[in-house]
Amino acid sequence: MNRWIPLTLVLMLSAVLVWMLFGWKSDTEDADPYKALQLAQPPRGGDFTLTSAAGPVSLADFRGKVVLIYFGYTWCPDICPLNLSYLRYALDGLTAQERERVQVLFISVDPERDTPQRLSRYTAYFAPDILGLTGMPEEVAKAAALYGAVYRRGEVENTAMGYAVDHSAYTYLVDTSGALQQSFDHATPPDRIIAAIRSQLTAGETP
Amino acid sequence: MRSILTKMTFACAALFLSASLYAGTSAEDVQAEGAYVRAVPPGQPNSAAFMSLTNKGETDHVLVAAESNVSKVAELHTHSMEGGMMKMRPVEKIDLPAGETVKLQPGGLHIMLIGLTRQLSPGEDVEITLIFEDGSRASLQAPVKTVQQTMEEHHHH
Repeated sequence: MNRWIPLTLVLMLSAVLVWMLFGWKSDTEDADPYKALQLAQPPRGGDFTLTSAAGPVSLADFRGKVVLIYFGYTWCPDICPLNLSYLRYALDGLTAQERERVQVLFISVDPERDTPQRLSRYTAYFAPDILGLTGMPEEVAKAAALYGAVYRRGEVENTAMGYAVDHSAYTYLVDTSGALQQSFDHATPPDRIIAAIRSQLTAGETP
Repeated sequence: MRSILTKMTFACAALFLSASLYAGTSAEDVQAEGAYVRAVPPGQPNSAAFMSLTNKGETDHVLVAAESNVSKVAELHTHSMEGGMMKMRPVEKIDLPAGETVKLQPGGLHIMLIGLTRQLSPGEDVEITLIFEDGSRASLQAPVKTVQQTMEEHHHH
């Protein structure tokens, strides 16, 4: 149990740091970082660099593409597979030309168990063009904070799971210029995702 | 002669009484329908089983544990939304009130299969054993299904 403490501390400190960098306002005296995350202006998205099985990947690499970002972890038996499957059906519903201009990123918020190699096997199961990313805990925390994704290691007793990761289950849609456009709730039907992707692809063509 | 009659009357009375008080065991009363286990990517250590459980009896029953032939452990779990996060937690029991149907479904209650002992292939059957508070056990076969298969079934119904 003691070996979790340093990691938890790092996570907490990085969350506070991120909050100070991005969420702090002079008129906000409330020092509770969790509350600030909820009350701060809506997340604006932004660039990040993380690690895939093939090396570093930046959001900026995908300018000109519509990017769907989902934060989760591979030990998750229900929520993540369902969402990734829905994203796959959304991809399948696009024409080949459209699909070339879409990138799905699955970012693991459980870097301790999810190595890039493990992530790559996991995402390939859902679709070959879903890219699994992770990084140092503070890098993941920074990327998550940009998008308003929240997660924490769940303290679970009486389970053989080891630990669970509580996480928000939104899918973030980033337009062709790299701006966060909208977020989808857990298990949003593929049809709605397809419609949103198409409208962004068209918008990107007619500036 | 008279004593035999008396004995028979008592026997009949006892039989009648026990029949009227008789309540089925949980395993007899609870019917599982639409059971399936989610197909998961290769190397994935865990999966989940879903089903709907209908208590056809007149007394309440309680599901307290489960086992499977493909995992080291099976646990009763649920999901809840808290602070914008999906939380998955074990539950001690799942109440099955008389005459009601309780659904174990994605995003909610499920039987978590932890430590898969082998790769699950879509279409194969997994044996799930439900263990109730009264000690009775019910085994059932649950096919392995991909999310796509379960989605298509929803569309067809």
